[in-house]
Amino acid sequence: MAKDRLSEVLERYEAVIGLEIHTELTSLKSKMFCGCPVEFGGEPNTRVCPVCLGLPGALPVPNEAAVEATVLAGLAVNCDIALWSQFHRKQYFYPDMPKDYQISQYDLPFCSGGHLDVEVDGDAVFQRVDRDSEEEYTARIGITRIHLEEDTGKMIHVGGAEGRISGAEKSLVDFNRAGTPLMELVSEPDIRTPEEARRFAQKLRLIMLTLGVSDCSMEEGSMRVDGNISIRLRGEIELGTKSEIKNMNSFKALHDALAYEIVRQADLMDVGERVVQETRHWDVGAKRTSMLRSKEEAHDYRYFPEPDMVPFAFTEEWVESIAQRVPELPDAKRERFMGTWDLPKYDAVVLTSDLAMAGFFEAAVAQTGPARAKSVANTMINDFSAHLNAEGIGVDESPVKPSMLAELVVLVDDGTISGKQAKEVFSAMVKTGEAPAVIVEARNMRQVSDTSAIEAVVDAIIAANPDEVASYRGGKIGLVGWFVGQVMREMRGQGNPKVVNEVLRRKLG
Amino acid sequence: MIDLSVLSATEIRDGIAGKRFSAREVADAAFARVEALEPSIHAFNQLTPELAEAAADRVDAMVAAGDELPPLAGVPAAIKDNMNLVGTRTTCSSKILASYESVYDCTAVRRLLDAGALPVGKCNLDEFAFGSSTENSAFGVTHNPWDTDRVPGGSSGGSAAAVAAGMATVSLGSDTGGSIRQPGALTGTVAMKPTYGRVSRYGCVAFASSLDQIGPFAHNVRDAALVLNAIAGKDEMDATSVTETVPDFTATLNDGVKGLRVGIVRDMLELEGLDPGIKASVEAAAARYAALGAEVGDVDIPAARHGLSAYYIIGPAEASSNLARFDGIRYGYRVDDATDVLDLYMRSRAEGFGPESIRRIMLGTYALSAGYYDAYYGQAQKARTLIIEDFAKAFESYDVLLTPTSPEVAFKIGEKSTDPLAMYLSDVFTIPLNLAGLPGVSMPCGLSEGLPIGLQVIGRHFDEATMLRAAAALEADLALDMTPSMARGGLDG
Amino acid sequence: MAISESDVRHVALLARLALTDGQVSSLQTELNSILGHIDELQGLDLADVQPTAHALEVTNSMRPDVVKPCLSRELALRNAPEAEGGAFVIPAMAGAGEDV
Ligand SMILES: [Zn+2]
Repeated sequence: MAKDRLSEVLERYEAVIGLEIHTELTSLKSKMFCGCPVEFGGEPNTRVCPVCLGLPGALPVPNEAAVEATVLAGLAVNCDIALWSQFHRKQYFYPDMPKDYQISQYDLPFCSGGHLDVEVDGDAVFQRVDRDSEEEYTARIGITRIHLEEDTGKMIHVGGAEGRISGAEKSLVDFNRAGTPLMELVSEPDIRTPEEARRFAQKLRLIMLTLGVSDCSMEEGSMRVDGNISIRLRGEIELGTKSEIKNMNSFKALHDALAYEIVRQADLMDVGERVVQETRHWDVGAKRTSMLRSKEEAHDYRYFPEPDMVPFAFTEEWVESIAQRVPELPDAKRERFMGTWDLPKYDAVVLTSDLAMAGFFEAAVAQTGPARAKSVANTMINDFSAHLNAEGIGVDESPVKPSMLAELVVLVDDGTISGKQAKEVFSAMVKTGEAPAVIVEARNMRQVSDTSAIEAVVDAIIAANPDEVASYRGGKIGLVGWFVGQVMREMRGQGNPKVVNEVLRRKLG
Repeated sequence: MIDLSVLSATEIRDGIAGKRFSAREVADAAFARVEALEPSIHAFNQLTPELAEAAADRVDAMVAAGDELPPLAGVPAAIKDNMNLVGTRTTCSSKILASYESVYDCTAVRRLLDAGALPVGKCNLDEFAFGSSTENSAFGVTHNPWDTDRVPGGSSGGSAAAVAAGMATVSLGSDTGGSIRQPGALTGTVAMKPTYGRVSRYGCVAFASSLDQIGPFAHNVRDAALVLNAIAGKDEMDATSVTETVPDFTATLNDGVKGLRVGIVRDMLELEGLDPGIKASVEAAAARYAALGAEVGDVDIPAARHGLSAYYIIGPAEASSNLARFDGIRYGYRVDDATDVLDLYMRSRAEGFGPESIRRIMLGTYALSAGYYDAYYGQAQKARTLIIEDFAKAFESYDVLLTPTSPEVAFKIGEKSTDPLAMYLSDVFTIPLNLAGLPGVSMPCGLSEGLPIGLQVIGRHFDEATMLRAAAALEADLALDMTPSMARGGLDG
Repeated sequence: MAISESDVRHVALLARLALTDGQVSSLQTELNSILGHIDELQGLDLADVQPTAHALEVTNSMRPDVVKPCLSRELALRNAPEAEGGAFVIPAMAGAGEDV
């Protein structure tokens, strides 16, 4: 999607976007209504029981930890917690749904009326053409509700193209995933740009990770984002016809699919055609959405209170006890990083945008002391991030541990090695997993800062190169670099460059 | 040979403990009676002699080892065929589950067997418990041992007939609108629906989840109490089962009714269409209570008149949902030539379910469908509130309440099978209890033209003990012999 | 509230029941007869009455987050009309229903 085209469309149309985000509570031990373990993958139908297979006579019993996790999530995104709530049955036939109804929540969800503040900066600010400033801004996105439900099983379509339904001869059904606790968050249609949608989803993911309720893997489907999107002419109050977009399996896909859809709807409206209410599928390969089903197949879910379970009555005290368990959230952590260690906002944002990065940073700084926090941040944002990207690994998978990075920062800071040497040590660390001090020792890289030792070398070089000395003194002061090189070569690179420079300039006059 | 038609559960257990006979001999006697009587009754969908013999052998091993026997040791028990038991098929008397093999145990059945009972077999029922005559079975009708031209009631007709004929000493049924108590009345057995939540529903194929409750059939109140002792109590597999303490329900059976406040539900007794013989019999029972020292008075439950309407919304609505899972995907009947999944669903279900199941699924689906929820389901739930409130008010003045169990005695096979609405009226006295979650026991209180009449004694929530005490007092006072003639005597009965 | 023939067909689709024309017609009659009785509830003024979903006032019935043994796959598939490679087999999905 060309930015220009989107930009042009957004000049004339305003997008109205709401997100539905499903998050599996993967950190729980057992499923939503039975004791089967919550895990990903595995041989088909090996993690099932009478309850999650929907066998005749089996009954659901709600997992207390799932209820608590949902309330925890609700509190983390500023929701009100219902003191009276219950499950409903949402009824429709589908082969991956064992009971042919899904136990979900309807008019009495656990959480409602929350919001998240999303900060948008950089290039993405342009998408908000209604703002006359190019400064970063904060958008407050309302959260309608968060409710709890059960996930479905999975189907593999055999005989068709690439596991898609169309053309398949038959399908295989695996219920391992059926009954996995699933939290559904529904946002208000407060989102105006694809970038706001992406940042909202990213922020929500970070919060869920911080709460420790889910691994939020978009690849494995433990976090799934669907979007409702319509556009209207700027200045128009009435909402346009919306389409629902599914299969946005990454944050990039979320952004690109919404951007595509805005342009697609605008193209229709520009030629006077109607946007049809339908569900569309994002094809990441073709970079376009296509119709999955039209709204004509209207749903009639026949919701009614789940009679196999009793209602939930929470007290204020209980809700407060869950609120006590909300850990430091990303915004607060970012502020703390800026306040405690005087980090620039950029550094704080980068370090707190990933739980493991933030944890790594704090562990390293604990070792170096707060005065070296900026040096730790620099090393992490530059060398460490580059290394992670190059290897395509996560923080925890790196051979570089916080203590090692801290040690490296201290070695540079106290002048034991030069910044250039530090890069070499870092590379060695990545390869060998050895501590910096060990590497410095083994490679004899200890930097010489002793003035008298350097003076001796400088004297020898000056004595050995009278012509160059004369040229320098005659005005070719650029030769100082050549002298530094000679000294460093003599010292096998271990001379402290700062001291070498200073001694040379003094001795050369 | 042991005469099972005269032995109570306690007598059987004590007889085995005292080595007067073995559990294996009891099992043999039960199956001998089955062999003699089952052809004319058809109480069972499946007989389980291997399971019964294995259970009997375990009891006999305990006797040999000198172990204390559990309370129902060696007691032949029949199980309604909507309750799962590993080693049996659980068919719900439906074509759709005709070959369904249980892969786990129903909690109540497990508890009954853990108390030492011998599983004789799985009993016929109206398909998925939809009915009041056991005629709606895919596997044929069950006959009433009092008159084999007549129905045993339903839906737990097989469980009722098995006990009435002495093929089992006790049995388990399930009761959603009267499916234990009404066949109890029509077969002259003691038949109890406990308080909702008292007994786990886990493993009993759900009809209407907010109404269903498992309970016992027995020849006498004490045996029913013994079964309740065995099956009651919180089950972590059923979120609607309650933690309420479970007393020994036999402990107070002999305490009499002196001072007990007994309320006759007068407006129910004045119901049009109530068999006059039944009405007279209930009045007579009330008079006996007064004679036994109870304080007897009249009370009305006006909202109960809406019970039938509310029930025929709530029951089918929940049933339509509970029966969705019978879709031919993971188990059950599947057409073998489906062109796609929708075709598979549509025809497997239409061919697998019988007419009454289809009727109720349709009714319930309609009542929950867009635009009708408030008018039907919502309104029924509110009527349910009124019924609960009326009973609560009545229980401010009375400790137990009396009604007839059924407006009529056992009717002829085929007599009502073409008129669903007439059939539905069979449960007019029993349904309000399910809606209110109250316990009720049907006990024989006389005969009308040679057929048993059932009296329904209603207790407060979780006060089955008082309800059973009242029933036991009347049972002792009336001292009726409720053995149908075909079931009298030993083997040659 | 009388139920029409098209209502019956619509409800039958919702309930996934392939009814014959004869069944549609007799069900229309029967359902209307039953609804005719049930409709007495429409006449009640229950505006101020709270609905009851559960007869007993029990709340918060939950279980701890503890793993229990699963069924063996053999038992899980015991009653499967068709199974392959440990999975349940179903025909093509075209027109499966309302959701994807
Ligand atoms: Zn399970």
